[in-house]
Order: sequence, then C-alpha cells, then structure tokens
Amino acid sequence: MKKLLALAGVTLAIALVGASSAQATKVCYAFQDLSTGFWGAGHEAIVTTLQKNGVEVVELNGGKDANRQLEQVKDCIAQGADGIILTADDGDSETMLVALAQEADVPIATFNRPPSDLSKGIIVVADNESVARQAVEAMAVEAEKKFKATGKKLHPLVLVGDLADPNAVKRREGFMNALKNHPDIFETPAEINTKWNSQVALAGLEAAVTADPNIDFIFTSSDFLFPTIQGVLEARGKWKKSGEEGHVILGGLDGDDGACRLIREGYVDSTGVQDVYLEAKLALDNIQEAIAKGDPRPNGIKLDPGFALSQANYAEKGATTWGCQVLDMKK
Amino acid sequence: MANTEGPGRSRPRAFDVVREEPRDFGGRAVGVMRGILLSEYFVLYLTVALFLGLALVYPELASARNISNQVSNIWPLLAVAIGQTLVIIILGIDLSQGAIMGFVSVAGAVVMASAADPNLLGGSPLWGWLISENGGVLAGSPYAVAAAIVAMLAVGSLIGLVNGFFIARFRMPPFMVTLVTLMLFSSAGIWLTQSQNIVNLPPGFTQLGAGDIVSFYFGEKVEATIKRRDILPFVTYPMLIAVALAILAHVILRRTAVGRYVYAIGTNAKAAEISGVPVKRVIMLVFAFSGFCAAVAAILYSARLGGGRPTIGAGAILLDIIGATVIGGTSLAGGKGKVTWTVIGVVFFVLLGNALNYMKLSAFHVDVVKGAIILLAAALDVTRNRLLARERGG
Repeated sequence: MKKLLALAGVTLAIALVGASSAQATKVCYAFQDLSTGFWGAGHEAIVTTLQKNGVEVVELNGGKDANRQLEQVKDCIAQGADGIILTADDGDSETMLVALAQEADVPIATFNRPPSDLSKGIIVVADNESVARQAVEAMAVEAEKKFKATGKKLHPLVLVGDLADPNAVKRREGFMNALKNHPDIFETPAEINTKWNSQVALAGLEAAVTADPNIDFIFTSSDFLFPTIQGVLEARGKWKKSGEEGHVILGGLDGDDGACRLIREGYVDSTGVQDVYLEAKLALDNIQEAIAKGDPRPNGIKLDPGFALSQANYAEKGATTWGCQVLDMKK
Repeated sequence: MANTEGPGRSRPRAFDVVREEPRDFGGRAVGVMRGILLSEYFVLYLTVALFLGLALVYPELASARNISNQVSNIWPLLAVAIGQTLVIIILGIDLSQGAIMGFVSVAGAVVMASAADPNLLGGSPLWGWLISENGGVLAGSPYAVAAAIVAMLAVGSLIGLVNGFFIARFRMPPFMVTLVTLMLFSSAGIWLTQSQNIVNLPPGFTQLGAGDIVSFYFGEKVEATIKRRDILPFVTYPMLIAVALAILAHVILRRTAVGRYVYAIGTNAKAAEISGVPVKRVIMLVFAFSGFCAAVAAILYSARLGGGRPTIGAGAILLDIIGATVIGGTSLAGGKGKVTWTVIGVVFFVLLGNALNYMKLSAFHVDVVKGAIILLAAALDVTRNRLLARERGG
C-alpha cells in the first residue's frame, strides 16, 4: 500500500509540474478513415502541405468510432493545438466536435463532411447537390440517345451513401433533381442504401439487379463503389464500354483515379468531381488565417463548386481532375 | 477454492530467491526487478513507468489538462470492463457487450428524445408509434430521463440474462451465444434506427456525460472571468457512477458468497457443482451483470456523445474492453481476477491511446505501435506468470 501511495505521489508531482512547452504552430488533422482514394488524397494533401509550411501536424485516425474521435479531439485540445481540421463520420458528430473545439477557443475547420449545424466552424464542402446533378445530367445525355434509339424508358438505380452524412443526402437530391428534368425517359428509380460500405452495396445491388434485370442506368454516390458495380455487372455480362451493345450507363461522384481510368477506358460515362486539392487548400488557408489573426471561433462555409467530368468533355477537363492527376502520377 | 493471488504469497518467495544471490548492488537490483515482475500490481508499475518515461519526452502528457482528459476517458471503459471481468473469471467471454451498448443507447433515446427528424428517421420501424417529430414516448415529461435510464439498465440486464440462460441451461459455449447476441442486437439497433443517430436528448441526460462536480483552475487569476477551457473537471458524474459500480463489483467478488461461487466456477465448474454451488444461477447472474455494466457504459457514452447511437459499441471497443481486462491480470483460463486489476488495465489502455496521440506518428503507423506495445506488455505478463508458477512449484 505504501508503494502504491508513493507511486501516486510521484505521478501527482509530475502532473503538477507538467506544462506545455513552447512549440511551433501545431494543427491536428482528425479524420475517420483513409479507405477511399478521395480521403487518401485529402490526407496526403493536408499533411504534406502543412509540413511544408513548417506546421507541426498531429494525425488522429478515429477509425469510425465516434467516442474515440471525441477523445482524440480532446487530446488535441489538451496538447495546446493551434487549430483542428476535422472529418467526422456523421453530421451530428461534426456538430458536437466543432462545439467542443470552439468552447476551448481552438479554431476548427471541417473538411468535406459538413456538420448538421452549418452556423459553426469553417465548413469546407463540395456543392454536392450541384455536382451530383451535373454528373447525372451528363449521363442523361447518353440516356436520351438510348431512349430515342429504343423507345423504351430507362431503369435507373442510385447507390445512396449513409443518410446520416449530409453529403450523401445532397448527392441523392442532385440525382433525383436531374431525373426530374427528364420525366419521359426514366422509370421510377430504385434506391440502394449503402451506408458507405461496399459489402452492403454489393448485397443491395445484387438484389436489385436480380429483381429488375432491365436496370441500365446506375449512379453511385461515391466512385469507390465502381469496383463493386463492375463485379455485379461482369457476372451478368453487362460490363460493356459506351457504344457497345448492352452498355449500362454509369456515373459517380468524387472524380477519383479509378473513375478517371474507367472514363478513359469507356466504361463509365461521367463522374462529379469534387476538387480534393482545392478543398484541402481552402481548409488549410482558412485555419492558418484564423490562427494568424488569433480568431478562436472562425465561422463560414467555403464551397467547392465542382464539375462533371464525362467522356464528352474529358479532353477539356481531364487534366484539371484530381483523380486523373493521381492516375498520371501512378503511371 | 479461489485461485487468487496476492503480494503476500509471491513476495516472500521472491525474497527467498534474492537471499541466494550475492548481496551486491547488482544482486539487489535483480531482486527488486524480480519483486516488481512477480507483484500482482506489475501492470500498475508498468503503467506508471510508461507514464513517467513518456512524460519526460512529451511534457504535455503530464499537464493537468491532459490528465483531466484522460481521467474522463477512463470511466465508461471501466464500467463495461467490470462486467467483462466477472464473465472472464467464470471462464466465459462476453462478445455482445458492444452490441448491447448500441441497442441500449437506442432504447434510451427512444424513451427520452425531445424531437426527431422525419427526413432521417421517417423510415424507421419505430416511427409513428415510439418516436415521432415530437420525440420519444416520454418526450417532455419530467420523468423522461429517469425512465430512460431505468429502461436502459433493464434492457441491458435482460439481454445479459438471455445470454446467461442459454449458456447455463443448454451448456452452450459463451463465445457462440454472445457472438449470436452480438450479431442480433447490433443489427437490430441499426435496423430500428435505419443507421441514424437519435439526437436531441434532454440536457438532464447529456449532463451525465460531462457534468463536473469538482473542477480545478491551475494558474494565476489575472482576469475577471476564467475561460471555460481553463477549468478542468476531475470529479464528474461518470467518475462517481463507474467508481460506485467498481466498488459494488469488488464487494460482490471479495465479500459475498456469490463472489466465492464465481471464483469456484472459474476454477472448476464441475467440482463447484458437486460442492453445492448453484452454478447455473450464478452464470446467469454474471452475464446479467455484464449486460447491466454494458448498459451503464452505454448511458455514459450516449450522454457524452449527445445521442442514441446504434454503432456506439461497434469498432474496436470490444478489443479494448477484453484487452484492458486481460492486460490487467484477469486470466482467460478462468478462476483468477480482480476489479482492481481491471482498473489498472483500463488505465494502461487509456494511457497508451493518449500517448500514441502525442507521439505524432503517421496515421498508418499508430495501430502498429499500439499492437507492439500491447504484445510487449502481454509477453512480460506471461513471463511473470511462468516465474510465479515456477516459484510455487518450488
């Protein structure tokens, strides 16, 4: 018992004398996972740019665990971080963590995934409704051609993300709005809730394509699901290039390297591009500006307008698409 | 009966060995190291050494703010690990604790939420009869929080009891039964909410997650007001709840007949049954208690995160629960374990997670380092147990 008390005394003594040492600017980057090309590219852009600017970066991977991320953000505040860049798993978690940081007077920016409460924090986000709508409109051009050739309405399907994620909600909205502009050529769309999980998406897509073998127009709310779509269509002999008999019109959103390659190869018709590099730059510039100004609670929405990359405009837009740049670097 | 260990049994033997060594400085150092290694509080010494070593490199680790944070991180994990401790002592394992936490979190929110978004929850099978735009079944009632807490504890205990019933009555392996419950209730929670969080919980409940009772401000008071960020909570509601639960479990294990039965079943269930121990009833009771502890943790996590979350116990938390319990010293072979050891195991896990955040490691390397440190700690513990066994063998 005496030993235990002595240990407790030493620990307490260390605790009481412990103090933050003077350091360079420190920014925490708290994210949920790096499982898709978009998040991987965003992570690299943010970390390398901060390091190039002489900023000390603390990387915190929440692993899709809301409590773990809460503890990490609290750690980050305790470390005396000058700013936080955050991507949480859902809008509610974003709202809670933004409030936590602002209460502690630490400026915070959310990267690509917005909080439910859009009034707090620097919110860097793509205009998801617009980007999705543009991508689906590009697909609809191909659908119009097919409708004119066959006279049959197309059977659309949308792979929806996790509806707790405002990005997923807006992308679904963009898809629906684009279809509303072409009421004569589409049947009622089928919806698959993927929860941003490729296994869930696979099971849902298998079931939907079995239930309606005529599905010929598929939009995925994120490009990372193209391999899943390919697996399902290949098994049914429907993985065809644009212009080939039986081609399923395909579109997505992100503009990642996989989608860029599939557009080059002719399998995918369009993808909505959210500019990961622009969004990383917006988050970094705004957080560094807030730190420089000593503004502990900067607020504001910074929008990435995005655009649609399609086979028709590839020559013009391909070079400015981040996924195509990544693809070229890999080569 | 109980195969429990204590310093009283190991220390004299360790010193006996020391007497055989030459009485020089090196021999004494080896003796002290051996004494530490053989102590039942070895993991505590390891934790303190880890803390002191890291604090030299990362002084912020020892700052009052960081310690306040880490103390707050201990309580929910401790609450759920206490239940796992009893289960492991009876040679069981409870894989369903995370799923119980998620399901219970949803159940509580359905009772007390003050509003709900139809765009998110409109597709839920609960919509319209248990939850609506106006909130949960007791939305706005002054009894909503109390009723929700009672419901959460009851649901958690009931699921635990179901686990215990199948394990005790049909002699099914705990691994299989709790694996099934894990799948069943984690899926049920997600299905009932359509994978959405139920937010808008009453402040009286969310206060439980962070409510400060005793807070400190370290430093000179130079301004009229002290910023909220500079006031550091140390005694909180989660602390009181988890400590009360720990004391309850400790008393049950060390001071009651049920506690003695628990150790007896873990050591040799057949012999215990022949000796008149009500094995089936005790197994059911232990699993019900494990469910109860998971429900307590769910209350703390839900209050802390401000919502009923079906995925609150998903991810790696189950590994943290079992890892902290076993690293603390509770034996997967059954019959051995203490609540105090689990407290130490939880502190070790929380400190390790905290230290890794300070090491500024690449996100790609963090879990590799964490795994390596846990492996090292486990290897040291195995060495310790072998030495103890050799000492006992004479």
